[in-house]
Amino acid sequence: MISLTAVTKKFNSTTAVNSITFNAKEGEIIGFLGPNGAGKTTTMRLILGYLLPTGGKITINNQNPLENRIEVLKQIGYLPENNPLYQEMKVQEYLEFIAYIKNTGKVKEVIDKVGLEEALSKRIEELSRGFKQRVGLAAALIGDPEILVLDEPTSGLDPLEQDKIKDLIKSLKKKTVIFSTHILSEVEDVATKLIIINKGNIAYDGAKPKGKGSVEKLFKRLLKG
Amino acid sequence: MFQLYKKELKYYLNSPIGYIIVILLSIFANFLFIKDLFVVGSASMKPFFSILPWIFLVFVPALTMRILSEERRTNTIEILLTLPVSETQIILSKFFALCTLTAIGLVLTAGLPVSLLFFTKLYIPEIIVGYTGSLLLASTFIGITMFFSSQTKNQVVAFLLSVITIFILLVLGTDFMATIFPKTILDFLNYFTPQYHLANFVKGIVDLRSVTYFATLVAATLFLTIVSLEKRD
Repeated sequence: MISLTAVTKKFNSTTAVNSITFNAKEGEIIGFLGPNGAGKTTTMRLILGYLLPTGGKITINNQNPLENRIEVLKQIGYLPENNPLYQEMKVQEYLEFIAYIKNTGKVKEVIDKVGLEEALSKRIEELSRGFKQRVGLAAALIGDPEILVLDEPTSGLDPLEQDKIKDLIKSLKKKTVIFSTHILSEVEDVATKLIIINKGNIAYDGAKPKGKGSVEKLFKRLLKG
Repeated sequence: MFQLYKKELKYYLNSPIGYIIVILLSIFANFLFIKDLFVVGSASMKPFFSILPWIFLVFVPALTMRILSEERRTNTIEILLTLPVSETQIILSKFFALCTLTAIGLVLTAGLPVSLLFFTKLYIPEIIVGYTGSLLLASTFIGITMFFSSQTKNQVVAFLLSVITIFILLVLGTDFMATIFPKTILDFLNYFTPQYHLANFVKGIVDLRSVTYFATLVAATLFLTIVSLEKRD
């Protein structure tokens, strides 16, 4: 589904991502971990083609996002970091706009899934952080994409909202999901695979270690090492 | 692309900013024309069209400055650029939405030729061609401002850079330049000024060279804007 081979991204003299290689297969839910500035968001933006790699190769379902950008983007739902939204738009209006661009009419299904019925007629700027996050998630889910790239989907949410979003991610069958987070327990709950990135390099790419607190132990060990 | 166009247009029509700018544009244009109308004693639309570039100098950048810089500042550009839509579609829909708003502003000045009809006989096709030229001129200024708006997150910077650039273009076509340059250079420079080409439209002439001039400037500025979006960094 997603394949990154020796992908590098430099911003002037700073290397944000250094020759990283990993794959994501159908049905995998990948927890993408790393400290601040490790290169998580840059990697996600590279997958989406929002940033152009300095070197290496990215393929999404055997397609190069640089050559078939629009075709690739039709297959991906994306929740960007900090969830930017058109604050002046109403929720329904925004979701219909996204649906139209993604060439699908199935908005109702997504609204039900993320629980946005009561907020549909409200302007996005009037919503709580939790509801805004649901709007961003709904936008990512519209069009039933095969791949979901979620950059800190539970960031800044209270525990109840976090649980709702975690349950939602777990309920996504047959999709490839890459989600980044700072909350290590979240990876234990949701992910089927774990990738840890540190200073632009892949520090771990493999199965999620079993047992409570094991992800945290691994994470700390790798970062200290 | 129509949905993108509609979204942009809706933003202006649902917020006071679009109304304020478009209405002020028409008020200024009407006022500056009427104030000299009875002094000059000539019932013609030509003075109106000659002041329009100077009115557009401020109002078009004011209307356009946020179009991409605001998307960059709030990072909503990341939404647009990760949706299955091309950069060209994004830019063209924004461009046409702004052209529509400017056209609305120009339509609000249509009372001028209508009222002049009470005093004199006007050749309507000439006025329509004049308005068409004015819209082409505004489109050029929209293109210039969109380019600067794509370069910065700061609307004010985009506005100032656009006003300076457009001002330089306009000043090249004024009599003031005759005090600096000899006539041969002046004639050459004049050919690159918007006023020179607008003048043809104001006379009621659709000169293909002038159409090409405006179309080239619009295409060049939009192309540069698209390239700057494609660059991503």
